[in-house]
Amino acid sequence: MVEAPLVEFKDLVVSYGPVQALAGVSGAFLPGPTGLLGPNGAGKTTLLKTLLGFLDPDQGAIAAFGLDPTKQALDVRRRIGYMPEVDCHLPGMTAAAFVAFAGELSGLPRDEAISRSHEVLYYVGLGEARYRTVDTYSTGMKQRVKLAQALVHDPDLLLLDEPTNGLDPAGRDEMLALVRDISERRQMSLILCSHLLRDVEQVCENVIVFNQGRVAASGRIAELTGPRRAVYDVRVKGDPAAFLTDLKDHGCEWREGEDGYRVLMSDGFGPELIFRTAREAGVQVRFLRPGAETLEDVFLRALGHEGEA
Amino acid sequence: MRFWPITREALRLILIRRWFLALLVAAWLPFLVQVIRIYIVTRFPEANRVLPVDGRLFGELLAWQAFFTMFITIFGGAGLVANDLRTGAILVYLSRPLTRRDYVVGKLGVLLALNLSATLAPGLALYAVALALAPDLFWKWDLAWIGPAVVVQSLAISLVMGLVALAVSSLSRSARVAGLGFFGLLIGLEVARGILYALYRRPETALLSLQADLRSLGVTLFGLTDRSVSIPWAYAAAMLTAVGLGCLLILRSRVRAVEIVQ
Repeated sequence: MVEAPLVEFKDLVVSYGPVQALAGVSGAFLPGPTGLLGPNGAGKTTLLKTLLGFLDPDQGAIAAFGLDPTKQALDVRRRIGYMPEVDCHLPGMTAAAFVAFAGELSGLPRDEAISRSHEVLYYVGLGEARYRTVDTYSTGMKQRVKLAQALVHDPDLLLLDEPTNGLDPAGRDEMLALVRDISERRQMSLILCSHLLRDVEQVCENVIVFNQGRVAASGRIAELTGPRRAVYDVRVKGDPAAFLTDLKDHGCEWREGEDGYRVLMSDGFGPELIFRTAREAGVQVRFLRPGAETLEDVFLRALGHEGEA
Repeated sequence: MRFWPITREALRLILIRRWFLALLVAAWLPFLVQVIRIYIVTRFPEANRVLPVDGRLFGELLAWQAFFTMFITIFGGAGLVANDLRTGAILVYLSRPLTRRDYVVGKLGVLLALNLSATLAPGLALYAVALALAPDLFWKWDLAWIGPAVVVQSLAISLVMGLVALAVSSLSRSARVAGLGFFGLLIGLEVARGILYALYRRPETALLSLQADLRSLGVTLFGLTDRSVSIPWAYAAAMLTAVGLGCLLILRSRVRAVEIVQ
């Protein structure tokens, strides 16, 4: 059964004066976790701000929960929890007071907001520190408070804008585990806006890749990264220029990896093409390992095609 | 009433500072002085010639209170928007089911509450004290305008101070800079007015300064004598209205800009 999308946008054009940030994009966010990927200036944040009703589209339409954010912004925001990328707290306020305040602003009665605040702060792991002022928190704790204030009114859709920003690897893993838990156990739909592919891969089922104000790719991550094309990690000895050019001539794509090259084979070719091309180019293959196409490959391929277009 | 949590929480954060409470208490000193004045006149009626007890008493009180509201506004209001811009808290408000108007009204409510506590409250309290201590002087039909006049002048002072402070606060991300900006604006305009008045002796120079415009209203409302600001009250009211509308435009533009830029 096809699920009805929570958010749909069609031929959406949004501009900041003469600069077009979204150039006629169409797509949908289905229930569940969805990643929103793209380099800086790709239009991700503009889409979120249009969804929250901050920006009016020049053309096209956007709907969230069947509501039009340009006309029913307050109704849309009531059902959305937004975790901004930038730091946000009120100086001098404890985490418990801050999250309760956020709940009240979302329309919860004061008593319920206070009770939900404690509950949510325990959930994000700040139960013991909830009576400390947010100013005294570490970066990781501030990220958790931001998440708590977005969760406090139990929204239908959570918008997470770079939730792992500024976190060390352990903190990042903890935050992603928390986000995964929100999605899996609490069954809350979320949009994870990130430039970190690993974060999206760990949490999301679907992804929309933005580039230069357009949708470069979208769909289920499993399908986008499925075994459609063979991928090999290759290390060679010798001048690789001719080798890489020949591979490209055969329709393969490559990019530099941490220690060698990641080669996406063209359809119908296997590792024998790599060995043959290497022999013809006069380089030695010192390492070859089959790999799976990652979201990063999809992302880069999508951006590459957009660039070519 | 969506704005109410904004006002309430901001007030709570401001009022937990003891020195600010001390400032609010100090703002009632002119009230005490005027109570003593009324008391002296009731005990020694001949003192009425030196210390006249009539409507002007309230105008003088509110002139003093306007001075206190400047400091209350600086310390209570300079950071109201600036801090939200600096800490990103503005997004906490704007991503909620609140309009920009709710946000501005919520913040303005803070300054209105603080400033009215230093203008309207002592003004009306003094009127009550005057009626109680000197009923023969104040229980008169022809002095019944004092109550409404106190309300109008208090609202004018509180609203103008509040709107200007919020507008200045929205132009900076630093409460300190915003506070200095507000202080500089008020004092700078008043100094400029003083210089121009000294040079040309024309009361129209009052239009240049917010405090002078407010005093000009006070002159009309309470029958005070101040030749330097004795312009028709409508001019002062028009200028104050224009300033208020200008501040609202600045706030509208700044809050919208944050939504788009961040």
